Amino acid sequence: MQLVELTKKAYEKLIWTWKPGSEKESGDAIVKNLLLHWFPNKVTKGSLSWSYSFYLGTISFVLFMILVGTGLVLMFLYVPSVERAYSSVKDIEYVVSFGWLLRAMHRIAAHLMVAIVFLHMVRVFLTGAYKNGGAVGSNRPLNWIIGLSLLVVTLLLSFTGYLLPWDQLAYWAITVGTNIAGSAPLVGESIRNFLLGGTTIDQNALIRFYVLHVFFLPLIVVFLFSWHMWRVRKDGGLAVVDREALNQKPESIAPVKSKTYSLLGITNGTTVHVQNRMIDEERNSVPSTPHLVRRVWLVTLITFLVVVALSFVFRAPLEAPANPSVTPNPAKAPWYFLWLQEIVTITTIQIGSFTVNGAFIGGILLPGLLMVLAIWWPYRDRSGIESVGVWFAPERRRQNWVFIGICLLIILFTIIGTFLRGPYWKFYWPWETWPTMPVKF
Amino acid sequence: MKIFKRNGSWKESGENKPEVQTRRTFLEKLGLGGILVGVAGIAFQSFRSLIPNVLYEPPKRFKIGQPASLADGVTFLEEKRLYVFKEGKSFYAISGACTHLGCTVKYTKLNQPKQIETDDGKKTINFEFHCPCHGSKFYSDGTNYAGPAPRPLHWYKLDVSPDDGQLIVDLGEEVEQNFRLTV
Amino acid sequence: MNHKTIEEKLEFVKKDKLFLSVSGILFLLVTAFGFYDYYTPEWRSYQSEFRDLVDEKFGPERAASIPAGLQQTYVPELNVADRCITCHQGAEWKGLENAPQPFRTHPTEILEKHPISKYGCTTCHGGQGYATEMQAAHGFVEHWEKPLLGKELGEFYVMSDKKALMQMNCNSCHRYDKQTKGADDINRAKQLVMEKGCRACHVINGRGGTVGPDLTFEGEKSPEQFNYERIKGFKSEFSWQVAHLKNPKELVPESVMPNFNFSSADAQALAMLVMSWKKANVPIDYIPGHNFRDIPTQEEKEKEERMLKGPGAFFVKKNCFVCHSVSTLGIEAAAQIGPDLALAVEDVQSRFGRTLDDFLARPTGTMEVVLSTMITLTEEERKEAIEKLRHAYELKQKELK
Repeated sequence: MQLVELTKKAYEKLIWTWKPGSEKESGDAIVKNLLLHWFPNKVTKGSLSWSYSFYLGTISFVLFMILVGTGLVLMFLYVPSVERAYSSVKDIEYVVSFGWLLRAMHRIAAHLMVAIVFLHMVRVFLTGAYKNGGAVGSNRPLNWIIGLSLLVVTLLLSFTGYLLPWDQLAYWAITVGTNIAGSAPLVGESIRNFLLGGTTIDQNALIRFYVLHVFFLPLIVVFLFSWHMWRVRKDGGLAVVDREALNQKPESIAPVKSKTYSLLGITNGTTVHVQNRMIDEERNSVPSTPHLVRRVWLVTLITFLVVVALSFVFRAPLEAPANPSVTPNPAKAPWYFLWLQEIVTITTIQIGSFTVNGAFIGGILLPGLLMVLAIWWPYRDRSGIESVGVWFAPERRRQNWVFIGICLLIILFTIIGTFLRGPYWKFYWPWETWPTMPVKF
Repeated sequence: MKIFKRNGSWKESGENKPEVQTRRTFLEKLGLGGILVGVAGIAFQSFRSLIPNVLYEPPKRFKIGQPASLADGVTFLEEKRLYVFKEGKSFYAISGACTHLGCTVKYTKLNQPKQIETDDGKKTINFEFHCPCHGSKFYSDGTNYAGPAPRPLHWYKLDVSPDDGQLIVDLGEEVEQNFRLTV
Repeated sequence: MNHKTIEEKLEFVKKDKLFLSVSGILFLLVTAFGFYDYYTPEWRSYQSEFRDLVDEKFGPERAASIPAGLQQTYVPELNVADRCITCHQGAEWKGLENAPQPFRTHPTEILEKHPISKYGCTTCHGGQGYATEMQAAHGFVEHWEKPLLGKELGEFYVMSDKKALMQMNCNSCHRYDKQTKGADDINRAKQLVMEKGCRACHVINGRGGTVGPDLTFEGEKSPEQFNYERIKGFKSEFSWQVAHLKNPKELVPESVMPNFNFSSADAQALAMLVMSWKKANVPIDYIPGHNFRDIPTQEEKEKEERMLKGPGAFFVKKNCFVCHSVSTLGIEAAAQIGPDLALAVEDVQSRFGRTLDDFLARPTGTMEVVLSTMITLTEEERKEAIEKLRHAYELKQKELK
């Protein structure tokens, strides 16, 4: 018995060093704790609904956690050296127990994450969820920008992972990618040389991409993601909550004594919970624990199942070892950059005697403009509060169509680049067979 | 948990009570069990993947050249950390790895020969092995006599290759201190 | 009012719980499936078959000594890590010469000079040594450019000797051999290179004319370097080389290379030779015909001969000549550390105040160490030495006069 007491005491001494002395303090404890602060106390039905959010953000997070888990194990097995990278990946495929599964899962999860984060952005745009609702201190446009940054970092993470196996695919994808960076005016060449740690893709480039891939970029994701989630809470939850508040029948609004808590020392304004007094809690919301927690578990499991099942079907490929003297034909970037590769092939233009490289227009200018437009748009969008948190709000019809149009174009170019471009970047219909590439024997 | 109970927000207005009280159905138990066993399986997979199935290590048996080409006395094979001795026609090999914590012991010539007591009686030695890390000292036959080393230096088996007559060392096979290969 | 909403909520709760339970079970199944490959890899069935075979032929004791699990031959010098022996476990056994593959004994004669431990398997045979599944290991998979140069490929190219293709890999080290034992096709091709005078137009092994392209490293070229438009059938570099050798103008109309009317077998042999001309990335001691010894010059050889056969041979045999010259007997010291022994009779007397006989019997100083450890003289040898030194001194005296 005494031993139990002692253990308890030791545990408290080590893990639970602080006990709240008052209600205010216990409130602070929750507010100040990132993990406990993750979920609100109560969630509305709209927030829980499948058809509003499709849980795309949750899925992205689960995919990220799968990537971290498999990635940590792979870090023990992979050797970031030009001489040994390729053979260490071959070893992961052939002689490491479950190595092939870990690698396939890491790859599938990475591809899915790019797709899901993109879809998450599409969802947020089409539901007008980047618009501020009723909550005081709400700054959804900022969270939209954080989300866009997360999309960019996701792409960079995926791209830096591409080089690591040091096979033909890796080598030439990085060649194309860094040359796009190099096409920027004035600073391009220096940026490229800094990325590569030299002028050619060699050991320096490999170790740089490795450190970016396993440390800096994940760190940025963790930071941005925490901020992203915290902002969701501060912005009054999902945008659909504002919608639900709006839909309340006026008579159901019970007079509530004005009682405001501030988020002590964390932020300006008042807590979300108090601001949402319009929503009839009894009728429209449920406690997060266990209902939201159960949901998140469910989404986690399903995501995991899909990733593992796909890993069984699609084993991660490994091409021939990197050979700087032979470019594979066709040499393609990873699929999520193929719309850009499609564009860079047609955007080299001549103005008089002056030639502008398509790499600059298609690879930097165009995606850069799209990004600037996306960042600016929430501030330009002047639609009313009725358009917050609802799919295809009539008031936002025109901008939604333009947005869908841009997305469809990107998807179309991606499909063309992935499936319809053959050797020498020639166009082939699906029913046409590509010429076979010669082999040694 | 206490925190929630105190301000009452944990207690729902009764709506959860029926659920809490109903026993988990068989399917739920199965599902929960599946998750737990599955997680254990994944944990196993992750840890198992870190145990290598093949090793990139030099072979334990290797050739060190023709017996005749070896110099009389001691030869130190630096890469293998092995002292090979040639006394006329007999050969033996003593590991250079200290039995304390594995530093490479140094062959040290004595200024004047020294008398030592061994199991086979008195013996005169004119060299010793000294360990640079923690000061362990070994007689010429590898017997530890000072410092923290718990055991004598290992002796390894020597052989003559049947195909080309080279000496073969087998680091996988230890032998007694009276081992001599006569060629 | 509340009643309905509770019902509603319970509805989704029930559904969520059901989905969660079902996906929990699926999760377990999926995880279990990940173990399938772990417990039933392809190589395991070969290993158990091999154990049965050995059990039957040599008894259970030897069968028990067979290692289980993945096996690897690691040759750091060649950067080779071959897992072939995981299935081909009998390669180095005696007595399995007629066993079915993958258990058969490797022909022993070639292994004596090319032990698996020093060469691995893929160095000669090709294939993908990393792989642990048959199809991938034999290299007949996408993205592996070095397939197993064995019977399957030989049959595909209708070679007269089905296993001849492997000789290409022999020749990447043996390229400077005139003839290599066992590499008959390569040998014939080398013969043809001489007979047809290929060097008139081509640089081969660093020597030849410049009318045609330099072929010294023709085998390094990637298959993308060739034009396959006129190749009928399978488009590979090997097909191109064979077709080109048979009729150069058919593939390259502007070519000035004559048509030698090679037979298919000759064209294939030549194509193999041409493609074997690669940069062999191996340590120097793997190249046949290398010589690590410092070869003595003719002059040095003659001198050694003279000293060994001349009147001072004794001092060479007993290693005195390492330090001492004996000028009048034609002995020249390798390192002239000690004094010329031609004057020893006089020298010892003046330095030590003792006679030569006395000194050699009880030497002091450096000579005490030398004569007790490195050079030991028997009674007769000492007498011989003294006699010879006296003779040398006499000659010296004469010389001085």
